[in-house]
Amino acid sequence: MPDPETNKSSPVPPPWFEPDSGWVPADKRLFGVDRRTIAPTLVVFTLVIVMSVVLPVVNAKVPYADTVKAGDVVELQGDVTFVPEAGWGITSGVRKGNAPLSGEYPATATVEGEAVKFTVHTAPFDGDSNKLLDQIEKTSDALNHGRGIRVASAHATIVTDQGNQGATAQVTGPQSGGLIAAFVFEGRGVEAVAVGPSDTGPESTAAVLQMIRSISHPGETKQ
Amino acid sequence: MTTPPTAIADLDRARNIALDLSGWGRRFTFYQPRNFAFWGYLALVGTGMFVFASRLTRQYDAYSQAIALAVTSFALYAALFWWFTQHIDHYAKLPAKLMVVAFLWGGFAATWMMAASANDAILALYAKSLGQSWALNWGAGLSAPFTEEMAKGSGLLLLIALAPRQVRTAFDGLILGAFIGLGFQIIEDIAYAMTSASSQFGANQIGASIGTIFLRMISGVAAHIVYSAIFCAGLIYLLGRPAEPRRVGRGLLLVAIPMLLHGTWDSLAAIAGPSTLTLLGLLIAVIAIALAIVVRVYELTVRRERDFVRGVMAPEEARNVITAAELHAMAGNRKARKAYRKASRSRRERKRNRYVLNAAYDLADELAAARGADTDRVRFARAEVARIRAGLPSPW
Repeated sequence: MPDPETNKSSPVPPPWFEPDSGWVPADKRLFGVDRRTIAPTLVVFTLVIVMSVVLPVVNAKVPYADTVKAGDVVELQGDVTFVPEAGWGITSGVRKGNAPLSGEYPATATVEGEAVKFTVHTAPFDGDSNKLLDQIEKTSDALNHGRGIRVASAHATIVTDQGNQGATAQVTGPQSGGLIAAFVFEGRGVEAVAVGPSDTGPESTAAVLQMIRSISHPGETKQ
Repeated sequence: MTTPPTAIADLDRARNIALDLSGWGRRFTFYQPRNFAFWGYLALVGTGMFVFASRLTRQYDAYSQAIALAVTSFALYAALFWWFTQHIDHYAKLPAKLMVVAFLWGGFAATWMMAASANDAILALYAKSLGQSWALNWGAGLSAPFTEEMAKGSGLLLLIALAPRQVRTAFDGLILGAFIGLGFQIIEDIAYAMTSASSQFGANQIGASIGTIFLRMISGVAAHIVYSAIFCAGLIYLLGRPAEPRRVGRGLLLVAIPMLLHGTWDSLAAIAGPSTLTLLGLLIAVIAIALAIVVRVYELTVRRERDFVRGVMAPEEARNVITAAELHAMAGNRKARKAYRKASRSRRERKRNRYVLNAAYDLADELAAARGADTDRVRFARAEVARIRAGLPSPW
């Protein structure tokens, strides 16, 4: 068979004895290691460092510049909307009327301001707002095993500007605190969570409450 | 017809060269403490496994139903693909241990040590610089093809360093790439199922994740397995190997194609717009194109492997262990094997032809393992070919 590299028949058959895989020729050793294996490994490690260290660090250094203007409305899946606080930054989710090309709004949106993170998530849910809050609490406890953010108070009632009743409770975690609210609109559950430092000022708290009250769904208007 | 002894000696010499070039039958040892790639592989796959296991155990209490369903479903799915990928590699076979090593790289290192964090960072950077809506439309399609294909493909560099005597051809790259892709696909699918389980607040886990599992199974037919197989075949052409001369143009093309397919796949929702019918049509079209391309790459790369089979078995034909028709079928494609089987008139003979061909492939494997030497195992494999041809029952 011709050698594809030279395209000539080799006159000498290969030797019968083959050293085992671990053997390294004396002229290919560097401190006992096969130096031919160093370059490909370093190439892979360079890629790993770029992907798992450099890119996340660059991302962390670049701030979000998309700030909320007065009158902006964020829309989620299932026609759920809320009015974010002017001046806060949108870190995920899109404004109403600015849907992705697929026409499907995302299920989650997050806005951040003054170290407070406010996230709204929506998905189908069978039950009322208290049942949804129980479910969220149950899932959160199972995930955190008593650590991290957890519900720290009894359920209370919260009413949106649209007149819909929801369930709310305080949440607490290591050096952080906040509020969680749950609503169910015609089989669609909405979870709103605000988390920030324990010493968050009253202005941020008021902004969070206002955003929760602004949550609405077109089929649920109650006068 | 009798072949002269000098011609047989030439054929034997050609067989030795074919075995040496192809690496066929060489054993693979994973534990190589003097190989730097061994430690690199161990560190990255080990850490990736730890990250995945931590994630799985942390979420198990909350999403146990969905995790159990996903792990069981995708394990069966992986077994099916494993069988298929091994099935198409019936020429100069790679060691099974090497395929396991490839699978684990794709499943644990390429995912958790590379692609996952890079994808998150790039998507966030797109959202920050080009807007959330743009990122939702095109972010995945312009991040995952680069990060994921490079993460999976880089595993082949380590595999070559770990097994330079076994990974010799673009076809080896195709097969190992498919296994890297299979590992990536399965672990990514399990992670997607876990995300779906959490999407409805942790309620209705099975209902929320079954759609994802089903969709990933269907779409997985022409996804990571195919992309990595093409990419890794291209990488071998780019690098060149002892049995595969470097072809930069072909290599670059084969590296670019899966990235393009992957990017198109991840942007399908944006390309199709709100129309479900268009989305479905595009989905089927992309799967069909990906499968057509991988079949073409298979045909392109497998030729050299068939030459190796011919080189290894030609002396057996010269010694009348197998016939010229059998050699042609062994070194041919599926059509050639089928034509050989169907050549006989009776059903019994056709069945016997199939068994003779299988026994001849066993003989080829034994010859490769013995590096062409006349060992007891080789003699036994030859005797088996003769026994089946004669229609005698097996004494074993």
